[in-house]
Amino acid sequence: MIVMRAMDKTMTCAEFQDALPELFEIQADLSGHEHLKNCENCAALVRDLQYIASQARLLLPIHDPSPAVWDHIQQAIRQDKPEPPAAVRK
Amino acid sequence: MAGPTQPRPATQHLRRNPPIAGEQEAIDKAREGDARAFETLYAMHKRRVYSLCLRMLGNVAEAEDLTQEAFLQLYRKIGTFRGDSAFSTWLHRLAVNVVLMHLRRKGLPQVSLEETLEPSQDDGPRKDIGARDLTLSGSIDRVTLERAIENLPPGYRLVFVLHDVEGYEHNEIAEMLDCSIGNSKSQLHKARMKLRDLLRTGQRKEQIA
Repeated sequence: MIVMRAMDKTMTCAEFQDALPELFEIQADLSGHEHLKNCENCAALVRDLQYIASQARLLLPIHDPSPAVWDHIQQAIRQDKPEPPAAVRK
Repeated sequence: MAGPTQPRPATQHLRRNPPIAGEQEAIDKAREGDARAFETLYAMHKRRVYSLCLRMLGNVAEAEDLTQEAFLQLYRKIGTFRGDSAFSTWLHRLAVNVVLMHLRRKGLPQVSLEETLEPSQDDGPRKDIGARDLTLSGSIDRVTLERAIENLPPGYRLVFVLHDVEGYEHNEIAEMLDCSIGNSKSQLHKARMKLRDLLRTGQRKEQIA
């Protein structure tokens, strides 16, 4: 219902922003949205949220664990030895 | 104008988890208990698993502990990997579960998720109404965004990292976090709104400085 109303050019900013999560979720094309044509604040909000989501998708794994992590894993595996990996368990 | 929630085709995880040369051989040998092969798998995936833990937790010591726990679980469970999904997808899901188990023991995510269901006035979407200000587009570098994500409340951060960074779908997140799909969608939107606030505040401070 809210989404249907979202195409109504008489909707307020509050109504538009209430509908926004669902509009994003259904990947609605907001480029020609009546409310955004007349409301620079909401247009900026939409641009920013789209920008944040797009930048998040570009984040790469850049952090390496310290060498101590592998040392601890090896140590724990040695203590685990009586229980070999499941593939070779009888 | 496409929405920020782009379609997540089946290739989404493949894009994030492309096949790695030598991985299958290492998996096969590690399943037979080959320690060198397991070390190879660790070298291939440590950065991705650790980065995931760090982004979800925002704490280096905890992220290292849980990276260790994730790989120990991998060692114990690698024999159960059947190849239905990419190995890296399977491993990252295992790591997510390790982090969530840890957070549940601490009691953080449930509390945060519920708390953030009723956003404070600071987090509410209508804060922007009437506030003409900067737009972010094109102005945020990776380090700034990473720092802002670190500063998200834990409940917001979990959903944002899982959906927008790691590419999980709302139904998967709802299952992982034991919440409704609607809750996951709502948290994601609030997380993006909160990030916008954090990023804009940072920009204003930079301008003043």
